Amino acid sequence: MNLFLILPFFVVMVLVAMGLYVALFKKNLIKIIMGITLMQNGANLFLVSLAYREGYVAPIWTSAPATDMVLPTPHALTLTSIVIGVATTALMLSFVIMLKRHYGTIDSNEVRRCRE
Amino acid sequence: MIDIVLRDIWSPILFIIVGLLVTLIAYLFYKLGNSEYRKTRYKGDPFISGNRPPKDLQGIHVGGDNLYWGFTHALKKFFEPLVKGHTGIVNDYVYWFVVTLAVVLVYLYIAM
Amino acid sequence: MNIATHLPSFILGIPLLFAFLTPIANKFSKEIRNAVFLTGLLLTGLFVGLMAYEVYTTGGWVYIFGAQDPVGELTTESLFRITFVADGFSTLATLTIIITAIGAAFYSLGYMKESPGMGKYYTLFLLTLAGVNGMVLTSDLFNLFVWFEVTSIASCALVAYHNERGKSVEAALKYMIISVVGGLLLLVSIGLFYGEYGVLNYALIGDSVHGSFIDLLAIGIIMVILAMKASSVPMHMWAPDAYAEAPEPITPFIAITSLGALFVLFRLIFFVFRGAVEPPALGTILIFLGVLSMFVGVSMALKQSDIKRLIAYLSVSQIGYMMMAVGVGFATLDTADYGSFGAMAIEGGFFHMINDGVYKALLFLSAAAVIYATKIRDLNKLGGLAHNMPYTTFFFIIGALSIAGIPPLSGFSSKLLIYESVYLYHPILAIIALVVSIITLALVAKVFFNAFLGPDQKMSKGEVPSSMLIAMGILTAVVILFSLFPHYVVSEIVVPAMESLGVGA
Repeated sequence: MNLFLILPFFVVMVLVAMGLYVALFKKNLIKIIMGITLMQNGANLFLVSLAYREGYVAPIWTSAPATDMVLPTPHALTLTSIVIGVATTALMLSFVIMLKRHYGTIDSNEVRRCRE
Repeated sequence: MIDIVLRDIWSPILFIIVGLLVTLIAYLFYKLGNSEYRKTRYKGDPFISGNRPPKDLQGIHVGGDNLYWGFTHALKKFFEPLVKGHTGIVNDYVYWFVVTLAVVLVYLYIAM
Repeated sequence: MNIATHLPSFILGIPLLFAFLTPIANKFSKEIRNAVFLTGLLLTGLFVGLMAYEVYTTGGWVYIFGAQDPVGELTTESLFRITFVADGFSTLATLTIIITAIGAAFYSLGYMKESPGMGKYYTLFLLTLAGVNGMVLTSDLFNLFVWFEVTSIASCALVAYHNERGKSVEAALKYMIISVVGGLLLLVSIGLFYGEYGVLNYALIGDSVHGSFIDLLAIGIIMVILAMKASSVPMHMWAPDAYAEAPEPITPFIAITSLGALFVLFRLIFFVFRGAVEPPALGTILIFLGVLSMFVGVSMALKQSDIKRLIAYLSVSQIGYMMMAVGVGFATLDTADYGSFGAMAIEGGFFHMINDGVYKALLFLSAAAVIYATKIRDLNKLGGLAHNMPYTTFFFIIGALSIAGIPPLSGFSSKLLIYESVYLYHPILAIIALVVSIITLALVAKVFFNAFLGPDQKMSKGEVPSSMLIAMGILTAVVILFSLFPHYVVSEIVVPAMESLGVGA
């Protein structure tokens, strides 16, 4: 098996694991959001790597060679998920800005007035 | 007859009819009783261990955490770790999610 | 071509369209904005009603977006089109959602009259409505992810509506982080299914799943994510925060997003996962999560003194009933037990979902009326409201007795079905359910005693405005209707939902 076909999946695993690690163990809210962004990139890379077929060309009709094309569904999914990712990241960051104004801190150990 | 019984075990309409009948019978018994009414000095006032009710009613309402204090106090050993577990730290929320995910996945693989 | 086949797309399109008309109307005047918002909501309600009528008269159909024949078979070129299913189960879900939405909407009109930024509030309201409806109607895994995220974004922004309060923003951020982590893992597991089978449609995946390593990985991840979104213990901690800190009139609607996730979970386990797993194993997971939710939810509620937080924990414990009941039903699939009690458990679980959506909304809204009238939410300080607020007291009693499962109210009908059936699966489950029900009764009695009974302390100036009373009145009427005619609800709404999932009695 070609190593370059498996490599993206290893990268995906590393990215998602790193993201989860950051969300679990880092106490800075901005860092947690950075971790979530890492996971987003991992998930997107996963979808793109799934679409790859050896010897197939990109699904662009203009002057394409007469060989098989890859199915563009995963790319459409990835685009959608990138857009959603931007929206969620922006919303979370704006929450953090407001929290900083109210609490004066972005340490998750101190952002815990809702509890019990 | 229209089907008004849920799974042969429960019919609210019959329940209400029977409830009304029982109320009616109870009312009939009540009517049989002595209808004389003796007016006494404290009749109708709240009974507070024989003391007279205070003029100012503020603060005599037992409520809030005092209501089931005895119950939660007796089961302190159960409640304390439970309340402590709800830390309110966002990392812990993710932690419980990941732990549940791991347990469910391990269980699924063992069970299949 | 029959126009009725397009109804599922209207149920999504109308709220989306009016969501973005509302801020434009807001430029003109408040009244026009409210009129536009209500038009959008009631039109959605009308289309939900029409879809229900169509489903119950002609049977369900699968709607393929953008196909020449929207109700035809999935062909090779329409394999990747988005499909929606209009069947008994979607009808059950959309009816639950729309009843709560109408209650919350009328309530908002009175409650939030003076609040700033209401154009955006109504936009987010309609977006959440579209998101939840999309979640329950879709039968495409990637589409599910999209609506999941739409719901998350819109409802988190709604939770943070009072951004002048630090706690609201905190609750919204926590809810957002946990939902986004869940959403991304959902995307990964969708990728797993796509990589294995090359399709995204529920029915096509359901045909080919066979319990391979990757199948089980994806199934486990999706189940846990949807259970998290449904606020099942031990992933429930975002729920009390979000419910307690959201604007009061919208709280039942935030709670409905959890119920929506539960609807999706049940559709997936019966539609897609059934072929890949041993039913008892997956059922055991659901039962376990359900029992934990019931017990921990009600125990934590005992320690609360904030009225909304208490009801939030009660709602966590009610989610447990549904998960346990459907878990028992799923565990007995394909055995002789299914006919004797499994079908009854699923019936009870589904019936409890529609009941729970309505009476929980009623409870949250009457708690909101208390907060509106007194500006106090601490049970230690409340008291004597029944003197001034007789209608709210009555509405609260109906909701409270229903959630506690007191006959003859609707909560009792569904809980009775659950007790009767889970007892035959394992007696301990029924005992736990009964104990939890008793503690629930004690808790609503506590709230009732603290807030409404006692000497008149002149806390409220009087009854809340009439639009709020009307909203609570609508929900009370629905609860009483469900209470009086549970057999009709079961035979007309719940049984078709079960049949559409292929698990009829």
